[in-house]
Amino acid sequence: MTTTTPTLGPAPAPAAARPVRRRRSSALLTYGASLLAGAAIWELAGHLIDPVFLVPFTDTVRRLGELVASGELPTALLASAQVFGAGLIIAVLVGLPAGLLLARVRFLRVGLEDWITGLYAMPMVALIPFILAIFGFGFTPKVIVVFLFAVFPVIITVYEGASSIPARHIEVARSFRARERHLWRDVVIPYTIPFAMTGIRLAIARALVGMIAAEFFLAVSGLGELILITSRRFDTAAVFATILVVCILGVLLLALGHALERRFAAWRGPS
Amino acid sequence: MRSTPRDINAVHDPAAATSRIQIRGLGKYFDELCVFDDIDLDVGSAEVVTLVGPSGCGKTTLLRCIDGLVAPSTGEVRIDGAPVVEPPEGVAVVFQHFGLFPWKTVFRNVAYGLRMAGVSRRAIAERVPAFIELVGLRGFENSYPYQLSGGMQQRAGLARALAVEPKVLLMDEPFGALDAQTREVLQFELLRIWDTRPTSMVFVTHSIDEAVLMGDRVVVLKGRPSTVHQVIDVDLARPRTRATTTDPRFHELREQVWNLVMSTPDDHNSVER
Repeated sequence: MTTTTPTLGPAPAPAAARPVRRRRSSALLTYGASLLAGAAIWELAGHLIDPVFLVPFTDTVRRLGELVASGELPTALLASAQVFGAGLIIAVLVGLPAGLLLARVRFLRVGLEDWITGLYAMPMVALIPFILAIFGFGFTPKVIVVFLFAVFPVIITVYEGASSIPARHIEVARSFRARERHLWRDVVIPYTIPFAMTGIRLAIARALVGMIAAEFFLAVSGLGELILITSRRFDTAAVFATILVVCILGVLLLALGHALERRFAAWRGPS
Repeated sequence: MRSTPRDINAVHDPAAATSRIQIRGLGKYFDELCVFDDIDLDVGSAEVVTLVGPSGCGKTTLLRCIDGLVAPSTGEVRIDGAPVVEPPEGVAVVFQHFGLFPWKTVFRNVAYGLRMAGVSRRAIAERVPAFIELVGLRGFENSYPYQLSGGMQQRAGLARALAVEPKVLLMDEPFGALDAQTREVLQFELLRIWDTRPTSMVFVTHSIDEAVLMGDRVVVLKGRPSTVHQVIDVDLARPRTRATTTDPRFHELREQVWNLVMSTPDDHNSVER
C-alpha cells in the first residue's frame, strides 16, 4: 500500500522482507534434506532386511516406473480417484449445509448433536460389513464408505465454526435490520468459510483412508486392489510403490487443502 | 394520547415539543438485578444528548433499548411517535468495538447498511465513496479491517452509520477503545461532520470531557438501580472546535458534571467498579 496513514496504527515492517526470504530458502533446504534422509534410510534398511518384507527405495521407484508403463497404476489410480472424488464431493455438499443448519437451528442441534458426535467417534471400518449387506458390491457402496469417512469432519468443523460467531457481529447485523437470511449471507457463511476449509482438509485425509478401506473390503478395485494382488504375489516392490503413490497423493491433496484454507481465510490477517 | 393541552413531561422538558426520541418509564431487569429504572428522556431532532455515569450504570444497555436490540422490562421508547420493538429504520449505531465485518473490505463494510436498506447497487457505488471520503479513508476502500489501525476502523464504522443518512445516531462509547490522541482527533472530526448534517444523537461515554464537548445536554445516570440523576444543559456555542476546550465555561461545566458523577449522596458504593 502506498498511501500514508494519517492515524497511528501498528507500524508495518518493510525490513522484514529479507529475513523472510532467507527463512523460506532455509526451510526448503531442510525439507529437501529430510526427503533425502528418508530415502537414504529406506534404501539402507531395504538392503539389510529380507526383500519379502522391505524393498530398497531404488527398487521401489523402478517398479513404480514399470507399473506406470504397463498401465496398471494409471488404471487403478483412475478407478480410485472416481471413488474418492465422488465420496468427497458428496461429503462436502452434505456436510456444509448440515453443519450450518445444526449451528443455526436449535431444534436440529438438540435432536442430532449427540448422534453426530457418536457416529464421528465410531470407527467407520466397523460399518463396512453393514454397508456390504445393504448395498452389495459395486461403485455406490464404495462411494458411501468414502462419504461416511469424510462427512463428519466437515459437519463438525462447520458446526463449531458457525456456532462460535461472536455475538457482536450478529448484533451489528441486527442493528442494520438484518433478517435470518441476510445474516446467513453476510455473517454466518463468510465467517464459517475458513472453518469449512479446515473441515474439507480433514475430510480429504479421511476420504483417502476410506477409499483404500472400501477398495479392500468391498469389491476390490483401484489402488486398494493393486496393493492386495501384488502383496499376494509377494511383489513387495509393487506394494511399496502403490503405497508410496497413496502417500504422495495424500501430501499433494492436503497441500491443496492448506492452500484453500489460506486463500479463504485471508481476511483473518497474518497470524 | 389524551388531548390535554400539555403533557406533564413536556412541561419541564422543552425538547419534548420537537422530540424525535421519547423515552418513558424505561427500566431493565436482568433476573433480580435492576440495571436502570424509571428513565424519562426526550431527544430533539437535531440534539446531542450524552449519557454519563459510573461503570455498570446501564448506559450501554439503555442505548441498546433505544435501538430495540434489547427489550426493556418496563416502559417504552418511541421514535417519531412509533414504539420501538426492533431496530427501526433511520437509526444507526456506532459501536465501541467498531463492529466491522472482518471478511469485508472497507468499501463493503461502509456499503453494508445501504445494502440492508435495499439501496440499488448503482446508488451504493455512487454514495459509498462520498462517505469514505467524508471520514478521511480515501485510498483504503479495498483494505480489510485487520490492515487498519483502531482509529481508521472506527472511521469506517462511522461512515457505515452515516451512509444510511440516519435521523438518529446512537453512539456506544465510540472512541472508548482508542488511544487518547486518536480519540481527540475523531471527536473533532465527528463534531465537524455533525455540523454539516445535524441529527438526533445519543452518545454514551465514560469521558466527562467528551460528554461536555459533544452534548447539548449531559444526562447523568446514577444510583442502584440507576435513574436520571441530573440533566445539565451545555450552553457552549456551536460549531464546537478545539477552541471550545479552552473556553472557561467548558471547564465549569466539566467540573459540574464531574462532581455530579463522583458525589455520593444516595449511594455509599458508587466508586467505579
